[in-house]
Amino acid sequence: MFIVIVGCGKLGSTLSKDLSDAGHNITVIDRSAERLESLGSGFNGLSIKGVEYDSGVLREAGITQADYLLSLTNDDNLNITVSLVAKEIFKVPRIIARVNEPEKKSVYSLLGIDTINPTELISYIIKSKLEGGKK
Amino acid sequence: MKSIIIGGGKIGYNLLKTLKERGYNVTLVEKDAETCRKIAEEINTDIICGDGTDISVLKDAGILNADIIAAVTGKDEENLVICQIAKKGFDISKSIARINNPKNIGMFRSLGVDQTVCSTEVIANLIEYEFDRDICKIVQTFDRGSMILVEITVNEGNRWLGHYVKDLVLPADCVIASILRADSAVFVRGDTQILLGDTIHMITNRSTFPEIKKLFHNGGMPYARQKK
Repeated sequence: MFIVIVGCGKLGSTLSKDLSDAGHNITVIDRSAERLESLGSGFNGLSIKGVEYDSGVLREAGITQADYLLSLTNDDNLNITVSLVAKEIFKVPRIIARVNEPEKKSVYSLLGIDTINPTELISYIIKSKLEGGKK
Repeated sequence: MKSIIIGGGKIGYNLLKTLKERGYNVTLVEKDAETCRKIAEEINTDIICGDGTDISVLKDAGILNADIIAAVTGKDEENLVICQIAKKGFDISKSIARINNPKNIGMFRSLGVDQTVCSTEVIANLIEYEFDRDICKIVQTFDRGSMILVEITVNEGNRWLGHYVKDLVLPADCVIASILRADSAVFVRGDTQILLGDTIHMITNRSTFPEIKKLFHNGGMPYARQKK
């Protein structure tokens, strides 16, 4: 699969490396060269430095051919903007964005963007561990 | 008329002041508590300290019965999200976004945010206008260049000097709107004669503008020579 990943923080870089190792075709976009370097030499996908929602940057990343776009930055507005551009302008078939502030989830759903909510997931996992440990 | 301004920077602050002076009912939403406090000391209006891209904050600001929303923060993605929420969530017909980076104008347009003001472009154009010593220059741009107002100065070398409007050969996509003569407007008819010292205002579009400029390349020779 061809996947464009936006945001090369902890989540973005870890996932990029994992997916790339699993044999997927990955392009990572981030505005910080420093963060892109964290991918290391083992990463055999493409990394592009630039403003994440800029059409030129996204085109360079090959968005027109992408099967998936994952917007994983730690800025909700940035994720929403990237997702909207991918959805409305480039018609990417599948888009998933990361929710940072749980109360912003309503904005994503209002604009029809699929999300994953790490905070919610982690708190759920911790809760079930705690409760599982009780027995 | 109820309006909401999001972003209390220089643009938001001055907009708030102007709208207040005109008697509008305005609410300001600003993230930074310190900025909120400063503005509250000076202007007596509703100020909400919060994130303007948060739906509950917008509801507190009265988005449910707002007529106009102006998103004027310093971040383009924030302004875009605010306008999207206003349009899709609250069906507000008039939302205006400030664009900081002119590169993003196309993106706003493709995503259906039609009312935008690009502060950087406006300032750059104003400076360019001052630099431009040509006899033919752009005064105002409407709807991102689909319509522009061009000003033509009539000096001794102008090819139109002494001609009647009905005799002028003009490109298809342009019309003479008015002539400024001795500080008053002349409403142009076919029998209006173009005199020395007139300032002609023309409405045209970006693609026709080079043609008009070319028209005056020779006609404006005395001026052009001075430039070099």
